[in-house]
Order: sequence, then C-alpha cells, then structure tokens
Amino acid sequence: MTAQRRDRAINSIGVWLLSAVLLAWTLLPIYNIIRVSIQEKEEVLSTSVFPIAPSPHAFSVVFHQAYWLLETFWNQMGNSFYIGVVVALLVLAIGSLTSFTISRMRIRSGWMLTNAALLTYVIPMSFLAIPFYGIMGKYGLTNNPLAVIAVEVTFATPYAIFIFQQYSASIPFELDEAARIDGASPPQIFFRIYLPLMAPALVAIGTYALLLSWNEYLYAFLLLSGGKVVTVPVALGKFLVGDEAPWNYLMAAAIIYAIPPLIIYYGFRRKMSGGLTMGGVKG
Amino acid sequence: MKRITRRRALVGVGAAVTAGSGLMPRRAKAAGELTVWWTQGFYKAENDAVIAWMADWEKRNNTKVNLTIMNGPDVITKLIAGMQVGDVPDVVHTVTGDRFLVPRAAWNDQLEDVSEVVESQKAEFTETALISARLYNAKQKKYSYYGVPTKGSSLMNSVWLPLLQDAGFAATDMPGTQDKFYDFFQTVQDKLRSKGKRIFGLGYSMAAKEADAGNLFHQFLVSYGGVGIVTPDGKLNIDDPAVRQAATTTLERLTTPFKKGYVPPGAINWGDVDNNNAFFARQIVMTPNATISIAAAQMDKPDLYYKEIITRGVPMGNDGKPVASVLAISPTIIPKGSKNVDAAKALLRDFIQPANMNAYLKETRARYLPVMASIVKNDPYWTDPKDPHRQVAVDMGLIKPTVPWWMSYNPAYSAVLSEQIWPQAEANITQRNMTPEQATEEAAKRIKQLFEQYQK
Amino acid sequence: MAVTTTIDSPAAATNTTPLARRRGTFGADKLWALAFVTPYVAIFVAFVIYPIGYGLWLGSDPASYRALFSDPVYPRTVVNTLLYLLFGVNLKLLLALLLSGFFMRKGWWTKILLLVFMLPWAVPALPSYLSINWMLNGQWGLINNIIWQVAQVDGPPWLDSHGFALASVIYGHIWKWLPFWTLIFLAGRMAVSLELYEAAEVDGASRLQKFRYVTLPLMAGMYLVCTMLSTIWALGDFNAVRFISGGGPALSTHVLATLGIRNAFELGDPKLGMATVLTALPLLIPLVILLMRQLRRSEVTI
Repeated sequence: MTAQRRDRAINSIGVWLLSAVLLAWTLLPIYNIIRVSIQEKEEVLSTSVFPIAPSPHAFSVVFHQAYWLLETFWNQMGNSFYIGVVVALLVLAIGSLTSFTISRMRIRSGWMLTNAALLTYVIPMSFLAIPFYGIMGKYGLTNNPLAVIAVEVTFATPYAIFIFQQYSASIPFELDEAARIDGASPPQIFFRIYLPLMAPALVAIGTYALLLSWNEYLYAFLLLSGGKVVTVPVALGKFLVGDEAPWNYLMAAAIIYAIPPLIIYYGFRRKMSGGLTMGGVKG
Repeated sequence: MKRITRRRALVGVGAAVTAGSGLMPRRAKAAGELTVWWTQGFYKAENDAVIAWMADWEKRNNTKVNLTIMNGPDVITKLIAGMQVGDVPDVVHTVTGDRFLVPRAAWNDQLEDVSEVVESQKAEFTETALISARLYNAKQKKYSYYGVPTKGSSLMNSVWLPLLQDAGFAATDMPGTQDKFYDFFQTVQDKLRSKGKRIFGLGYSMAAKEADAGNLFHQFLVSYGGVGIVTPDGKLNIDDPAVRQAATTTLERLTTPFKKGYVPPGAINWGDVDNNNAFFARQIVMTPNATISIAAAQMDKPDLYYKEIITRGVPMGNDGKPVASVLAISPTIIPKGSKNVDAAKALLRDFIQPANMNAYLKETRARYLPVMASIVKNDPYWTDPKDPHRQVAVDMGLIKPTVPWWMSYNPAYSAVLSEQIWPQAEANITQRNMTPEQATEEAAKRIKQLFEQYQK
Repeated sequence: MAVTTTIDSPAAATNTTPLARRRGTFGADKLWALAFVTPYVAIFVAFVIYPIGYGLWLGSDPASYRALFSDPVYPRTVVNTLLYLLFGVNLKLLLALLLSGFFMRKGWWTKILLLVFMLPWAVPALPSYLSINWMLNGQWGLINNIIWQVAQVDGPPWLDSHGFALASVIYGHIWKWLPFWTLIFLAGRMAVSLELYEAAEVDGASRLQKFRYVTLPLMAGMYLVCTMLSTIWALGDFNAVRFISGGGPALSTHVLATLGIRNAFELGDPKLGMATVLTALPLLIPLVILLMRQLRRSEVTI
C-alpha cells in the first residue's frame, strides 16, 4: 500500500470507529427508553437487554389514560402545548418589538434595555425558583399556567432580542429611510418592512421558545398543582413518588411527549438560513 | 394586506392568552366555599371514596367544596409555600405531614386550633392518637390540638413464604424475638445462595430520602430501649446512656448486614417504592414496610395474598417482652389564614364520625388503620380471621401497645426527620467508614443543634 | 443559538447613514417607541427585578447562613458543585471543540451522523434523564444488564455510591448538552473559514499556519465565552441532578441548585433555600460581569 492509501485507510478506520462510538454514546439512552416502553410490567424488573416479548401495551395504556397517574395525560399534553405556543407567540411579539425599537428606531436608552436583557440571559433560571414561587402567590397567579408562561417569556425574550438585533443588522436602513420619507409611522415600518424581512429569525426564535417551554420542569412543578393543570414533565415526575413504579408506562408517556419537539426540531431545521444555528435551550 | 394580518395576529394572541387562562381552573376565593387538599391514595377506590364523600357533604350542607387530590410531597410543598404568601386552603389532609410539617406549623402558630373537632369524638380516639394531635404553640405558649387524627400506620414485615420454603424453612421457623428474627433472614439468604439463587435476605431501605429508612430505624430504636429519646415535655434525651446505647445498637444492627452483603447494595438509594419493587421481583426475602401495602397491592391475586406473602408484626424484644409499635398518625389540619374556619371544622367533625371514617378507611384496603378502637370492635371487616394481613396490622396498630412519634413532643424532631439524620448516620457507617459510636455522636451533635432552635 | 463572529466590523453593528444621524427621533416616534418597549420593561420589572429583589431579601437573614454552614450536607454540596462545573463544563466543551472539527468533514455520512448526534438535544430533558436514571439502575438497568450478560459480573453501583453517582450525573449533563455546544463550535468554525481562510490562502499560509493564526485565535475568544456561559448554566442545572441521582445516595450528590430546592421545600425553609443558592454569588457575579463585558465587546452572540 502506498503511504497515501495507508493514510486514507487509517483515516477511514478512524472515522468509522469514531462514528461507532458516537452512535453508541448517543443512542444508548434512546434505545433504553424505547426498550422499556415496549416491555411488560414483569420484564421491567429483569436483567434482559433486548425486550423478550415486546408489546405496545404501555402505549395503549397511555393513549387511553388507563392508569391512574395518567388519567389526565392528554389534558397535560394540551397544557404543555398551550403554554409552549403562547410563550412562543409572546416571545416573538415582545422580542421583535423591543429589538425593533432598540436597533431600528435607535432610541437613546437602548443600551439599558440591552443590558437588562443581557443580565436576564446570564442568570441561572433555577436560582430564582424560590422567589418566583412566593411572588406568583402575590400576583394572584397560583396554579395558573400564566405564571409558567410569564417565567418562560421572561427568560426567553432576551435571547430573542439579541438574535433579532443581529439579524436586523443585515437589513439596510435605507428601507426604513425610504418608508419614513413616504410618511410611514413606526408601526407601519414594523409590520410592513421589519417583520417580513425577519421571517427566518422569527421562525428560529419561535421554535426555540417553544422547545424551551417544552423542556421546563422546575417552574411547572412549583407553580402548578393538581392533575388537570400541570404539564407532562410534572406528571412524569410524579411517577417516581409512589408505591409502584411502572417504568414501561412512564417511558411510553415520555416518548409520546418527546415526539412533538422532535418533529418540530427536525422539521424546522431546513428553515434556518445560513449562519443561524438552532436556538439554544437555556436552563 | 400584511399589515392588518400582523396586527390582527397580535390582538389574537392577547385574546387567546386571556381566554386560555380563563379556561384553566383557578382556586376559588369566594367566601363560604371550602378548599380541601387531600393526599392522593394508592388506589383509585380510595380517591373515589373521598371525592364521593365530599360531593355528598357539599350537597347536604349547601357549601361548595373544591377538592384537589395531590401526591403527598406536593401537598406539603404547596402548603409551605401557601403559608409563606398567606394563601392557604381550608382543610388539608396529609399522610406524612405529622412528621415533616404539622408540629412545626403548630409551633409557629400557623394552624387553627381544632380542639372542638377533636373533643367531639374524644372518647373514640386512642390514647396515642390524642397524644400525637396535641402540639405545642410557641406563640401562644400552650399545648392544644392542632391536627385531627385521621388514620394510622405502623411497621410491618412482609415475607415471601416460597423463598423460605426454598431454603428449607417453614413459616413457623421464623423466630419471634428481635435479633433472632432479623438474623434468621441472613441464614435464609445463605441457604438460597448455596442453591445458586441471587437473592438477598434483608430488603430494607437505608436511603436518606422519603420515609422507609427512618421508619425502620425508629422502630428498632424502640425495640432496643431508646423510646425515651425525647421526653413527653419536649426535652432531648440523647445523652442518656440507655438511649445512646439503643441508637448505637440500632445503627450497628442495620449496617452490619449491609456491609456483609445481606442487603441489596442499591438499598442505600431506595425510595419508598423501591423495596416494594424489589419484593415483587422476588429479589429479597423480606422487607419492612409501613402498612400492609405490599400485600394489599396483590389483593386480586389470591394465591399471593393468602398463601405466599406473610405479614409479621414487630418482633418481641430480645428479652421476650412485647415491644410497642411506633404509630404514625396522619393528621388533617386547618391552616391559619383559612377564611372558612367554621365550615372547615364542620366538615371535619362530620368526617371523623366513626361510621364515615370506617367507610373511608375500608377503601384503603386496610393499608391505613383507624384511630378509633370502636371501629375495629364494631366492624368485623377489621378482624376478619380470613385475612392474614389485616389482622396483624390491626393487632399492631390498635390492640397491642403503641407509642407516638416524638414530633408531637417537640417539633425539632420533625427537623431531625426531614434532614434524614439517622439514615445519614447509616450512610456514614456504610460509605464513610465511621463506627456506630462515631455515627451516633455525629447525629447527636446535629440533633442538639436542631433542638436549640426550638427552645420553649 | 446563532453564532455570528464579526471580528472587526463596528460598522456592521451600527449601520449608520448620514441621513439617519441627522434625523433623530420625532415626538410621535417617541410615543411609539415607548409603547413598543413597555411590554418588555413591564416583564423585566415584574419578573426580573422583583424576584431578584425578593430573593435577595429572602437570603438576607444571617441566621440562615449560620444554619446552612452548620449542615454537614453543605460542604459536600459545594465540592460536588465545583466538580460538576469542572468536569461537566470543561470535558463537554473540549469534546465539543474536537467533534466540531470532525463534523466539518464533507460527505453524506457526516450529515447523517450529525442528525443522529443532535438527538440528545432535541429530545426533551425529562424523558432523557429518566431514561438515564433507569439505565444506570444497579439492579435492573440496561448497562448492568449488558455487563451481566457479557461478563457474568455485577456492574458498578452507578447510582448507589457517591463517586459513581456524581460521575453519572456529569455524564447525563454532557450527554444532553454536547450536541448543542458542538453545533455552536461548528458554526463558529464555519463562519471563520468562510472569510479568513481565503484571505490567508491568498497570503500563502500553510494548513498549520491557518489553524494557528486564524482558527485558534478566533475560536479561543468563542471558547472562553462558551466556557463562562456553560458554567453559569451548569450552575443552575437542576434537572440532571434531580432526575439522575436525586441528590443521593444519602444526600451526597446534591449541587447548590438542588440543595436550595430541598432546603426550601423539603425542610420547609425558603429563606434557607435562597441562602443556599446565594452562596454561589461569589462565583456567579464575576462570571456574569466578565461575560457581559465579553459579549458586548466582541459581538459574539451565543
């Protein structure tokens, strides 16, 4: 073998080795969650590696809410959706308005807003859980999904503002100027020029906000109580406190819960324009 | 036109948010309505019984009842937060509240005095129940009744008969005294191992979480003579040589089998559900459990329930004398700040009438015991000779001597429980190589610090 | 997260034109501007300033700190937190940097691999962590089952011993977040290569020189920002510890975030819980200041 071909061979082997490691590393917990969800109750507590008698029984139980901890599962999915979508819309609305004002209207106190956003962005979310818990009571939002929505919006909007600011740097001011000369008011510029051109960023941020809320556990757990009002992660968490632990139901419910974000993430990847990688998840 | 659509969209968002939040249930604040939080049971029938009873009461008394059923830890968490901001429900039934919350709340004057409710059935309640409901209020400097005893639970030991038989033993071979009883299972394990079965003889939790490990520790403590760890007037007595000795012996008796491999290594991390799981997977021969829940979960499998699972109570002391069971009483409380105290008291007065209590507790499949002796005397359900498990539970919880937990003497002890001091002591021995004496000393130090925060 | 590294273009950021500078903001415009920023300002005041203030007030009682420092769980928790940050952040970012180089390769296989590799980040946190928790169960978890089938020995007590449990939590954290940071670094690398490699090539630079004088300096700035940001977020990572080890065994794998919640809600003392979390300020505040400065200055947005 020539030196070049040997190098290429080693290179290939290296790539395949690394690929194998990456696949195993990535897929092990995923395989586990699928494996347990198709096991029967007895098999859950066993030493099997591959499912012995796979059955979709657990999924059927979840679908029909046939287990007492799953009685309001679809309500809870609905709650998760409701909160996620409202958060996304609010983040888009507030983030774009604020970013527009800072970077297009260029008000003098824009730097204060940017710093405020920056500060919120870098605070660890879970550190404020305790005060939030007390405060939501004072605002009269106990057991109200608006409380969770408020928290998510608060922590997601700063990032939205930054991305919008970055993105709007690529939209020339001449457009604004031209509209001004034509006598357009700020809201008209906002709706006619700004938003349409920001569409890819809006999609990216909307998805980011939705996924952020979908992931939320701590605040949903603290701020909501009672089976019908909580979100799915909170309901899943309750499986761990009790007298029996049907892991197969738990994993089946978790898979159903994971499907929407997977669809959204893999579906919307293409909509991102170059340079804008998928929105990060905070917390 | 784009402009109108966008604006409409924003308006639409606002409308949707307002509408959506209105659709979600909110806690009612209207006067004359009762907000009741109840700890979720383990059986659907249990929850249904509560819902049905509340609905019935609502009709009979023309007072709306907003019932929320939550799991145990949630009830406590939400109540703590509610008390923080002054937004509390009217009636709360907790299961582990007696240990982690109620005595401290009473101390801090955060509970309504429910003496009139308790008095209405005073003759019915057992002595232990009354003691555990009588708590000290540091603000008003008096003892009074701050919780309504609702149900009780004490330690049971569940054993697999087939595994005993596999090891060549019969049920009657189980010794009746403390040390011999628990040592027996080590022998069973040895025999089963020699047959190639990877089973553990002793399946008790040693985890510093939830309640199981603490329950077992304290029962052992009483069996070894440490019942005086806190005196009835609230003084910490841990320097008493008898108590020290009992604590050290308990730690030693619990940790040595673990170190020798007679307890599953995972037990150091077992939540309250995990010993149940291990038992059902037949990975352990026996497990202690508060209540007969292990057997009761298999009520629909008659072979298991009647033949294969045996329930034993607390063994007798090493001196052959009976040992008192530590009886936990789950209280129902009325937090201070409730706007409907009278209605709440009326509801509770109704609920604790023996007939109603009986109906409710039967739905728990005898997992929880009545706190009224007459219930057991009048309803043959409780002493049904055909039920091998219920008999033991009733015997231990109502007929044989019982002692209350120590939090009612001094709320500092509930801090001891929520900080998991004794399970941490066990971990100090098994994970950090302390001796039982050192671990006891560490625990004693920390307990003294906690007691200092509760000087009368 | 978008990563755009604009290296030396303040012009791009401000985008001023002579016309704009002369224009200023008219009276009516001012009203609109006010209306537009009111929602965000309202949110900021109601949901950032007030909670922070309330939190600081909750944590201002010296008695809480005395109680906190006398709890034997606390020093262990601090050590755990530091280890979690040290390994969780640095191992993860190092791997992310190296992997980002790998994923620069062209070809269909790399693309597919990247898609699969992103799964941990796309799957929500709770299902992932619950799966990992069950997978590492000493008795019935997948990993020990595999070990038993293959080698007939009992696998390690992943969640039942302090060292292993902490390692498991760190593993879970890295598993979940590695794809995200890899993507960030990947985008960073791609942004670099588009503009400057060409310029370097024109100047006749070799591959090594390109890496040393182009890639490294630019990635270094980004790497630093990412380290600081990831440290702050890892500091607040509640879910991984809560659902993988639960803080066990015997309260030995708590980190400040989870201990704070345990103190506030299990011990029923919100002041103590807040105090727990506030003891992270000596680490958090310098990081926040540095990070804010860095983010403002270099226009690197994560």
